[in-house]
Amino acid sequence: MRNPRDIIIEPLVTEKSTAQMEEKKYSFVVDKKANKIEIKKAVEEIFGVKVKDVNTISVKGKPRRVGVHRGYRPSWKKAIVTLHEGSKPIEIYE
Amino acid sequence: MYRWEKIDNSKVCLEIEVPSGEVNDALDKAYRKMVKTLSVPGFRKGKVPRKVLESRYGPEIFYNEALEILVDPVYSKAVKECQLEPINRPEMELVQMEKDKPLIFKITVDVKPEVELGEYRGITVKQVKKEITSKDVDRYLNSLREQHGRLVTVEDGELQEKDLAVIDFEGVINGEPFEGGKAENYSLELGSGTLVKGFEEQLLGARKDEQREVKVTFSEDYTKEELAGKEAIFTVLVKEIKRPQFPELNDAFVQELTEEFSTLEEFRADVENKLKESLRNREKMSLESEIIEKVAEEARVDVPEILVERELDNIFGEIEYYLRMQGLSLEQYGRLVEGGLEKLREERREEALKRAKANLVLDAIIKKEAIDVSPEEVEEKIKEVVQNQEVDFAQVKEQFAKQGRLDIMAHEMRYRKVIDLLVENANIVEVEEEDKGDTGGEDVEATAANQEEKEEGVAPEE
Repeated sequence: MRNPRDIIIEPLVTEKSTAQMEEKKYSFVVDKKANKIEIKKAVEEIFGVKVKDVNTISVKGKPRRVGVHRGYRPSWKKAIVTLHEGSKPIEIYE
Repeated sequence: MYRWEKIDNSKVCLEIEVPSGEVNDALDKAYRKMVKTLSVPGFRKGKVPRKVLESRYGPEIFYNEALEILVDPVYSKAVKECQLEPINRPEMELVQMEKDKPLIFKITVDVKPEVELGEYRGITVKQVKKEITSKDVDRYLNSLREQHGRLVTVEDGELQEKDLAVIDFEGVINGEPFEGGKAENYSLELGSGTLVKGFEEQLLGARKDEQREVKVTFSEDYTKEELAGKEAIFTVLVKEIKRPQFPELNDAFVQELTEEFSTLEEFRADVENKLKESLRNREKMSLESEIIEKVAEEARVDVPEILVERELDNIFGEIEYYLRMQGLSLEQYGRLVEGGLEKLREERREEALKRAKANLVLDAIIKKEAIDVSPEEVEEKIKEVVQNQEVDFAQVKEQFAKQGRLDIMAHEMRYRKVIDLLVENANIVEVEEEDKGDTGGEDVEATAANQEEKEEGVAPEE
């Protein structure tokens, strides 16, 4: 398996994601090519928790324009990981 | 929880501990206040959770704010409980500040030093008794006449003291004209000393259209250096002689001055009364200050430097006030006096020390005698002040309260009371007026000052 740290790029800290932590749902920015099973394994390995479910969304890059040049911000993949009820929480703020 | 110890006579070190619960509350408050201003990407303003902020900036970011919330009330409570009287802003040293732990800090502050009061009842002071005599009244009336004098052009006569001469002059040094040595139509009051010493004297007796040569020597410390110590010859042409003419002292003059009185006798009596009153006031004030000085001398106290400095600031504030009335600023004045403001400050230090000490001593007596002023008394005082003006009492009171003037007034009234107490208990020895030679100068000065005061009362501006 690839290094789990290559799959989980960074935790996603936003208002929405912080609110979801109450429901044991944690959001991450993950590698674009990673699938749900890989993500589940990676999270379990890095944080030592038990993952119940993984939802992923491909976030398309937003169109940007600099002068006459048009382009897009990079697209990325967001994973919302739900932990098992009995699992210990992930400490994102370390 | 407080511990305090004296470092020296006027310095106190306080160690204060605040329980952890209060610390956490304060941190919470600090967070709620600061979250409104901090922005973190991914969050709207004011919506950033505390945890996020703490992990981003470290938990220390709330400390300053929390300290502000915590220290002030705790400090003032501690001061009250330990019965300290701080006189400047405290210096704080943080010993421990952490979440979930008690806050410990040390405060060093200057406090009012302990005053060792000496005898303050039965102080013996001498008071010079003076009486207003008809001479004083005459002198005052004469000065009034002089102020209302009119200048009359004299066609045929010699220049006298106090005359106003309109002159042209041109001066030379060693045959060379110099800067500032020439003027036309210059109005010179003889005896006023505006020009170089000797200039005016040599013009005495001159007639209209007369030309005179005047020889003067500039003094060694003359303001223009290049002229100092040099001898100059001025050619002066007297173009016009104006002589002040004073009105006759009679009923008509009185009527012109004021509408209150119609005869000279009445006016005289009034002037006499007013002079007497102001003399009594001045006597009272000098008596009071003498008693205070004596009491202060009897007491022993180390006056902290900061109080002396503050008193110096007060003195300078007063100086500035007087200067402003003459249209000068403190900075300008500083350039005029020798040695500048620093030297002036040094010179006044002793006076400031005296004043600071007197204040401390009076405070100590107030404390010892348990002199206090009730809010009702302050109200009475405001009513007294308000009485003559068309303002609403309640409004004034509210305004005063807002500006913190009530406390100041109470403070002043306490001082008043303690001074009255001192005067009551003082042993006043009346002595006859001493030699004219000794007090003469003072006397004239005092009368002059007094006249200035009086004028407003007696002769309103027309």
